[in-house]
Amino acid sequence: MDEPGIERPPIGDVVELDAEPGDGPIVIANEFVDVVVRKVQTRNGMRLDIWSPRRGSRVLLDAVALDCLSFQEPELISALLQRRPAP
Amino acid sequence: MTAFNDATGLADWVSRTRAGLTEGRFPARAFNDVDVHALEQERLFAKAWCFLAHESEIPSPGDYVTRKIGNNNLIVARDEHGVIHANLNMCRHRGNVMCKSEMGNASHFRCSYHGWTYKNSGELVGVPYMKEGYEGRLKRKDWGLVAVRVDTYEGLVFGCLDPEGPSLAEYLGGFQFYLDLYLKHGLGGVEVHGPPDHWVADTDWKICAENFAGDGYHTPVAHQWGFHLGYFPSSGTTHSQGWAASIPGKGHGIGLGHGPGYPAFSGFPDQVVAGMKEAMSPEQVAVFSQIRTAVGTVFPNLSFLMQPFSLVPGDPGVRFVTMRLYHPAGPGRMEMYSWCLVPKDAPEDYKAEAYRAYTLAFGQAGTFEQDDFENWTKVTASAGSGLVRDLDFPYIMGMESEPVPEFPGPGHVVRPYVNDTNFRNMWSRWGDYLAGEA
Repeated sequence: MDEPGIERPPIGDVVELDAEPGDGPIVIANEFVDVVVRKVQTRNGMRLDIWSPRRGSRVLLDAVALDCLSFQEPELISALLQRRPAP
Repeated sequence: MTAFNDATGLADWVSRTRAGLTEGRFPARAFNDVDVHALEQERLFAKAWCFLAHESEIPSPGDYVTRKIGNNNLIVARDEHGVIHANLNMCRHRGNVMCKSEMGNASHFRCSYHGWTYKNSGELVGVPYMKEGYEGRLKRKDWGLVAVRVDTYEGLVFGCLDPEGPSLAEYLGGFQFYLDLYLKHGLGGVEVHGPPDHWVADTDWKICAENFAGDGYHTPVAHQWGFHLGYFPSSGTTHSQGWAASIPGKGHGIGLGHGPGYPAFSGFPDQVVAGMKEAMSPEQVAVFSQIRTAVGTVFPNLSFLMQPFSLVPGDPGVRFVTMRLYHPAGPGRMEMYSWCLVPKDAPEDYKAEAYRAYTLAFGQAGTFEQDDFENWTKVTASAGSGLVRDLDFPYIMGMESEPVPEFPGPGHVVRPYVNDTNFRNMWSRWGDYLAGEA
């Protein structure tokens, strides 16, 4: 399995929360981590913007990607965490 | 586990205590003593089935609570497939606490020290710098969280640290018949109403466990205001009536207070009574419909109480159920958990009323609870003083009681409700564990 695509950017070059207006933000958090989730408008449709304030990483998922996530087994997430749990 | 070091002569003391019980005596020292506490940790809490949580506290995948058995901190979690696990709340890498919050929801637990990450079932999945640091020598499957046996009865989740011990059903030994009085309030069972009240008190856990094993004797005295002001539908002249039921050799006991002339299942809504009659056996309905107060303990430290209580003095009582866990936090010190159980299928307005009745009487600000803890903390303080260490208390009430032959429930059942029989059985079982014979 390849290394995941999102690496922590160097200090000083972290991704900031996009200032563009959108629905949300919704904060999903537990005692281990927190993420900020928003629905954002692109020129040609909607995406879900998932932003990790502590990590400074961000991913934009469209409907096809979200649909794909909806039918994955929880083990996929465990496998992704196995590859790069932290930092 | 280290072997018991009997430098203090505790083995002889345990032996004398067991012999004294056959004559109706029990030593004050048991209620506040550092060596007794250590022996309980090693021989009782390491082997008995201990209550952890109610299933309704963790209804969804990822839900968890942290609880303890003896001095072991555990995560009780429902995994992504709905299966309940209990694991030691300790990272296998360097021993850090994994979950620092008392409850939460997480698909994975990640250690805040070096980042080892576990599935909520306890399997180790993530190790930072795995390839670079461990060079293939670390096998994840060998370093999952330490699992503890779990089993359930009617929504109650128990854990056992002893992999070789009896099954939960065998451990309960027929006490399920009486537990159903609190748990089968309809085919949907019961659920907790919110998170538990949780506090620490300078009280030995055993005093509370004994009291709830059927101490109807203290009620008209310690809680006399409840009688006099019209909150509690009983009177001093009839309060002793009813039955004391215990399971010999298991330690469990329940006091079943009978209210003469009190309407069957009074204080429950009709819908709940109908559900109880559907969920319980005819024998259970025949006995339990007569009961005003039911106060019982699952050995060692889980208790229940059901009784009617008036929200306004003189008004008809509202029937509520409380479940409580007495966690030993040290000699003469205890962490107290207290829940209100409500029928899952009951109308919401009854659930709210039952919770109000529970809150008025129990929980850390409850009136009955205040009465009890004032007495229990004083008993604990007395038991820790030098002069009382060689004194016994009398446990001779009902020494000559004969079993009630026609009673349909299991175990040893005697009259009246006010009786020491359940307590002698409980201390006898406690002695079995401390002697290493259970």
